[in-house]
Amino acid sequence: MSEAVTEMISRDQQRPVDKAASVNVPRRLRNLELVLVLFASAINGGALYLVQLGAIGAFDSSFFLPAMGLAVLVLGMHVALRFIAPHADPFILPIATLLNGLGIAGIYRLDLAYGVAGWESVAVRQVVWTGLAIAVAITVLVMLRNHRVLQRYRYSAMFVGLLLLLLPMLPLIGREINGARVWIGIGSFSFQPGEIAKIALAVFFAGYLVTARDSLSMVGAKFLGMRFPRVRDLGPILVIWAAAMAVLVFQRDLGTSLLYFGLFVVMIYVATGRLSWVLLGLLLFVGGAMAAAQLGYVGGRLNAWLTPFDQSVYDAQGGSYQLVTGLFGLAHGGLIGTGLGQGMPNVTPLANSDFIIASLGEELGLAGVFAILALYLLFVSRGFRIGFAGQDDFGKLLSIGLSFVVALQVFIVIGGVTRVIPLTGLTTPFMAAGGSSLLANWIIAAVLLRLSDTVRNQPRVVVQ
Amino acid sequence: MNGELTLLLLRLAFLTLLWLFVFGVVYALRTDLFGQRVRRMPADQAQQQVAAAPAPQVSPFQTAPGRPAPARQSAPISSLPDGPNTSRPGHEAPIKATTTSARRIVITGGPRAGLEIALQPEPLTIGRSSESGLVIRDDYTSTHHARLLLWNDEWMIQDLDSTNGTFLAGKRVHAPVQVPLNTPIKVGATTFELRR
Repeated sequence: MSEAVTEMISRDQQRPVDKAASVNVPRRLRNLELVLVLFASAINGGALYLVQLGAIGAFDSSFFLPAMGLAVLVLGMHVALRFIAPHADPFILPIATLLNGLGIAGIYRLDLAYGVAGWESVAVRQVVWTGLAIAVAITVLVMLRNHRVLQRYRYSAMFVGLLLLLLPMLPLIGREINGARVWIGIGSFSFQPGEIAKIALAVFFAGYLVTARDSLSMVGAKFLGMRFPRVRDLGPILVIWAAAMAVLVFQRDLGTSLLYFGLFVVMIYVATGRLSWVLLGLLLFVGGAMAAAQLGYVGGRLNAWLTPFDQSVYDAQGGSYQLVTGLFGLAHGGLIGTGLGQGMPNVTPLANSDFIIASLGEELGLAGVFAILALYLLFVSRGFRIGFAGQDDFGKLLSIGLSFVVALQVFIVIGGVTRVIPLTGLTTPFMAAGGSSLLANWIIAAVLLRLSDTVRNQPRVVVQ
Repeated sequence: MNGELTLLLLRLAFLTLLWLFVFGVVYALRTDLFGQRVRRMPADQAQQQVAAAPAPQVSPFQTAPGRPAPARQSAPISSLPDGPNTSRPGHEAPIKATTTSARRIVITGGPRAGLEIALQPEPLTIGRSSESGLVIRDDYTSTHHARLLLWNDEWMIQDLDSTNGTFLAGKRVHAPVQVPLNTPIKVGATTFELRR
């Protein structure tokens, strides 16, 4: 009984305290973010320092200082959030900062191994791109004060998305690198427009599904315990499927194709709650990919996935050499890795973009890779959380779509590198070398921050 | 040898830091993962509420379901024994709560009885989570308990798989159901109604 009394007293005392606390909620969130951002920046600095210590045995401030300049930019974004999105989620910015910094450390380590410096250095360009991407993310936060505005531009978003997807197929500016035609280039400057297209398409899918989901979910014949859509409602999924197949055949990029189609299927599943769409989507994609396997390069990828250690596959042009050296690197790393700057990740081709996780996995070991995967898991779960807490259907679908696209991309790349699924070329979000990917992912982070700010901004009543 | 040892220690320290960051984030969002902490109710009060919880007592002077309640009605009068859409013979059908007909939420039972909230024409989440539109913190509320939805401008109540259930006029809500005006909705130990 005495316990109950003390509880009651504490309950009565709590009320005014809670009232004051709820006023300070935004400040508390932002302070938490500040602490985590500083922590993440310290880890990033430590990673660069260890790379230098391991690879050249001394501290070199010529790269260290500009790279740490990014911490200042991130702090700038944090300050901007205090003013323009005080209720935003406090975990997204620190996680993005840490992933980005680990990526830069991995890329810088490879540059040291390749012996490049100055503007030749991929890491220097990555730092510049990161700065640009953070600046763009702040701009997005400033310009986009209410995400519902995006719903109005859903069809414009569709056109922009499709245009960006098809841009690399144009003769003059389209550019083919390593067999995939997904870049555009002007002079020495190249860009992968498909990365931005995923944001535009997520906006379009969310806007479209909000209006169309009733007809997609309510009607249709029941078969095998699932309600299947009517034939005439299949239009949109067939259009997106055709677009994905066009990317697969003409741009020769299995990863991008899978990414867009997977995004659409998941968003339609979330909007309608019907498993039959997922089944239908999987069947369509596997069918299409099987047909495309006859094209040669998809078949080669499948072969390299199933029998990578076969000598003839290993030696073949476009065979499993890259995949296998990546696996050897991961195996070399073991449980705690060789230590930053002390492995040989430079043996693997494209170690700083598609295979960044293999290079970091070699030097940080299984413990490090799992930490990185946990960071992605937290990032994506925050996105889902924002969608779950959202009040409007468009915002819900958009945040689910944007965070799922990050999750799917991580799965496709890391699954490919670790031989869970066939290897397909995609960038690891926030980590891989490449400006377009960085830009796209920082914009996704900015939109998620904006969405979480509007979610938490709701007027609340507390009954307790 | 000495250098190698330093590098090994630094490597381990770095991995530890990385994991500390991960666990720091997880610790900071523990309320999201494991739910908000409840303050246990004083024993006598809790018992009283449990007794009241299963079925709202049928008050001897119940109002007809269809009659719009006067503006400042006292709480227990409108606790209807019947389901929302089962119009009993002899009674007119209950008035649906729509964006135009329902203007406010009135809390009729529980610790904050008497509180009025203006009802915005947008969905409202109810639960123990601090992100809910209507936060109810007691022993019987789930983190994400229920939500009020708008389907074609008509208010619906949906139970989000809560442990102890959401009750509309004393009946447990399974699928989203329409909310009539002046009908008690019970979440945890709190009862509220939509009124004009």
